[in-house]
Amino acid sequence: MPATRRHISPHYQRYLNAKSTVFQGLCVVFAAIVLAVFAFVAFYLFSQGIHHIGLAFFTEMPIPPGMAGAPGGMANALLGTLILIALAGVVGIPLGMLAGIYLAEYSSNSWLGAPVRFISDVLAGVPSIVVGILGYELLVVPMGHYNGYAGAAALAFIMIPIVARTTEEMLRLVPHSYREASIALGASKTRTILKVVIPAATGSLVTGVMLAIARIAGETAPLLFTALGSRLLTLNPANPFPSLTVQVFNYATGPYKDEQDLAWAGMLILIAIVFVLNLTVRFTTSRMQRERRGRAR
Amino acid sequence: MSSESSQPISPEPNSPPSGEGIRRSLRTKRRFNVDAVLAGFTRLGALCIIGMLVALLAVLTIAAWPSITQYKARFLTSSQWRANSREVSVRDAAGHIVFDSDGEMTTKTVPPEFGAWPVIYGTTVSSILALLFAVPLSFGTALFLVRLCPRIIAGTVSFLIEFLAAIPSIAYGMWALFVLAPLLQHYVEPGLRHALSWMPWINRWLFVETQTVVGRTVSQEIPLTGNDMFCGGLVLAIMILPIITAISRDVLKGVPREQLEGTSALGATWWQSSREMLRYSRSGLFGAVMLGLARAAGETMAVTMVCGNNTQVRFSLFAPTQTMSSLLANEFAEANSDIHRAALAEVALILLVMSLLFNIIARWLVVDSSAHAAAH
Amino acid sequence: MKLFSVLKMAVVAMALPATTAMAADRLQGAGATFPQPYYQRLVAEYQKLTGATIDYQGIGSGGGQKGIAEKTVHFAGSDAPMDRKVIAKCGGAENLVEVPSCAGGIVAIYNLPGIKQALRFTGPVLAEIYMGKIRRWNDQKLVELNPGVELPDQAITAVWRTDGSGTNFVWTNYLCTQIAEFKSSIGAGLKVQWPVGLGGKGNPGVTHTVQQTVGGIGYVEQTYADQNHLAYGLVQNKEGNFVKATPKSVSLAGAGAVDQMHGQMIPANIWHQAGKDTYPIASFTYLIVYKDLNNLPDKEAAQTLVNFLWWATHDGQKLAAKLDYAPLAPAVQKKVEEALKTITYKGEALKIGE
Repeated sequence: MPATRRHISPHYQRYLNAKSTVFQGLCVVFAAIVLAVFAFVAFYLFSQGIHHIGLAFFTEMPIPPGMAGAPGGMANALLGTLILIALAGVVGIPLGMLAGIYLAEYSSNSWLGAPVRFISDVLAGVPSIVVGILGYELLVVPMGHYNGYAGAAALAFIMIPIVARTTEEMLRLVPHSYREASIALGASKTRTILKVVIPAATGSLVTGVMLAIARIAGETAPLLFTALGSRLLTLNPANPFPSLTVQVFNYATGPYKDEQDLAWAGMLILIAIVFVLNLTVRFTTSRMQRERRGRAR
Repeated sequence: MSSESSQPISPEPNSPPSGEGIRRSLRTKRRFNVDAVLAGFTRLGALCIIGMLVALLAVLTIAAWPSITQYKARFLTSSQWRANSREVSVRDAAGHIVFDSDGEMTTKTVPPEFGAWPVIYGTTVSSILALLFAVPLSFGTALFLVRLCPRIIAGTVSFLIEFLAAIPSIAYGMWALFVLAPLLQHYVEPGLRHALSWMPWINRWLFVETQTVVGRTVSQEIPLTGNDMFCGGLVLAIMILPIITAISRDVLKGVPREQLEGTSALGATWWQSSREMLRYSRSGLFGAVMLGLARAAGETMAVTMVCGNNTQVRFSLFAPTQTMSSLLANEFAEANSDIHRAALAEVALILLVMSLLFNIIARWLVVDSSAHAAAH
Repeated sequence: MKLFSVLKMAVVAMALPATTAMAADRLQGAGATFPQPYYQRLVAEYQKLTGATIDYQGIGSGGGQKGIAEKTVHFAGSDAPMDRKVIAKCGGAENLVEVPSCAGGIVAIYNLPGIKQALRFTGPVLAEIYMGKIRRWNDQKLVELNPGVELPDQAITAVWRTDGSGTNFVWTNYLCTQIAEFKSSIGAGLKVQWPVGLGGKGNPGVTHTVQQTVGGIGYVEQTYADQNHLAYGLVQNKEGNFVKATPKSVSLAGAGAVDQMHGQMIPANIWHQAGKDTYPIASFTYLIVYKDLNNLPDKEAAQTLVNFLWWATHDGQKLAAKLDYAPLAPAVQKKVEEALKTITYKGEALKIGE
């Protein structure tokens, strides 16, 4: 190469430089386009949402169009989403974490590790509507009616592989010397994992869980055939169960202007939840990275 | 993306021989039991993940079975998706309508017919369209983030992109329904027609449609509604931009510094060394594209809201379409005949297998390339 | 299939240790979106009156019928009479009660900015639009029907339902009576395959899509058009008059229906009826329950449900007119009463209409 380069004519070199500048510019333009599109989307969602949100959103139930006080609020949907997330978490987080611990701590000598790791990666990419159909066949048809449990189970299904893989990765970040030290001091493997490895990784495990929650909080498709939705305040998940996303979908695709406005407000709340979760994750991870770097020094 | 194969960390380390000896001596019977319990539980969690995939495949296959046995391979190629049975008049060999003795037309009932070709087509074309829009933008942005952008800004932009990947799809759908589709209907699509329709083949492809309606061939202008393949592709592109950008950024970051410094030292221009970088990490980038494709193919809500929901194969990008996932969202809850539901389950099965394939390819490529990068 | 049920049972056993029954104090209905504004209003008012919590989800008539067959709902709403196959799944017609709750007109809404007066349509013209034979608003046939109206040179976008829909059922059955070609090429049903146009989910989805699409035409229950200020056309009836849908012109269509009603399943098709001022695309909408309410958690819930059904078909009728539905005629109401009185809970009689 050096030999050939010396013979490049100044013209050709100038052409190459110009071409390089053009492509450099193109990259900047592309990045600018991407950011501009997203700024537009984000701004629009935010301004519409903030414009239509009010106290009634949090305190009132939906009121049918044409009645006094319509369209009311989304208190039932908000509560419904929180309950669904909690239920999904109760099932999904422990199962996902167990699988993650297995992958990080036990799998190296087993044939099971590689396929489980691979399948959880693949499961994380399964279209969520397909998971909804699974929930319908397994939990709605046998129970005889649409219900919140089926919705929560579908969400847990989506959650488990995500929690498993983040748990594994977070545990792997715990320096190996910790484990060796613990074992050298006579602790059993169980004790090492429970008292040394997991506490060392608690912060990052929580962030993993938060990412998974952020993911399921916005899911609509798996709830369409499972929890179905409801206009009532519902606490018993054996009933058809309201959720923010399904209600937003129904309102947004409907013709009533005031319900569409309410949908924007609901959307903003959803995005705010996701944003706060992501922001927390970012701060905790960057703090942990700093600490780790400090330790390494 | 894990790179476990190349990391020295592993739970059972090749620790000094003395450590192995100590551990063995510490492993008394009692502790062994406790260890076994936790090991058993975690193993159960791991098996649960395998069980989930098996359950998914098994349940869908069983639910789809009536349709699989009835339609066989024809299901993939037939473009009829009709849930009602139809009365048609019987025609004889010469094409004349047959009348019975009372002078009434004799009719026969055509049973419902389900074929997945229109939705397979819709999913494929809208996903490819999304990639066409998203891939150049993503790669450009990734290069910008890795090579041009000041580090301080890069951190913020990276966070924004990760956040955008986490925004619920229904938010993009709502934005598309209220902003993008009207914009396309009133400005972009008429503008494109104005600009492009003088070219006959483009006109024939995009703006005019020749259809055989009830035995008569008519050539008609396609109404530009903004609820079409084009809009579906655009909103999908916007949704997969963050994920492709984020992964390709990581992949590009993984290119060893010597590789770059080498080319620069040889006097390569910025673009030449960038191209070297792209070429070096091509399998990882391809993996990123596959992941984007998997997401686009499985995406439901946003597409349902803007694709027009017409279950037909139409070649124009400005004609309404239907994807596999939007068909499921529209029809699954109210399919009241068994065969209809089975046909929908079969569509879900096809969608699942398709996305599994994309994901498997993508994981192989991305994991492979990061291992490859780490090895250098 | 065996594997499937074992799988199902295993999952159910694992996932549901606690309550699986729906709460007794709550009734669940689902189905047609055609009467959804009316039913949602009904349940809200009924809750104010008695405290009973009832939920109605508009998921389409097909979904409602399926819900009854699979017992996923306590009561269903449907604009189409129960499908024969679905009735068989429920164990036969003698197991069910199907009564009309009100009647409504399906109107042809359109989005043509600048057109002030109501357009006139005939059945065959509507059929040809939905068959893709009439493709532009200034088509000769439309122009002839609407003298003096400046119809634009604009493509027609036919908007229809994507879900299993009783509105679809009535609309397609009506169009089948208009042109033989429609019957053989598209046919009638809860869900058909349309050759042209855009799909919207439910009456709300169709309304929204027409609102957004210049040149769009769609068919929805009249309430949706009125509540959202959409223009809709007059339709030529059997006698040749162009009639606007109103609760009055719709109830005229339902007047003759009483002769079709016998027993406890009393659907009656009322499209394309005779009468000078009768609106031609009218439909009853039905409430469907099991005749023996053993799918409800207890007798109290069953009693609440029949009380609600009784109230909806009597005092609740006042709300129907308010929302532009046609209330039931007294003669029809009589038939409904007879049908409702056959309802029992696990063989025990319920207090009905007292």
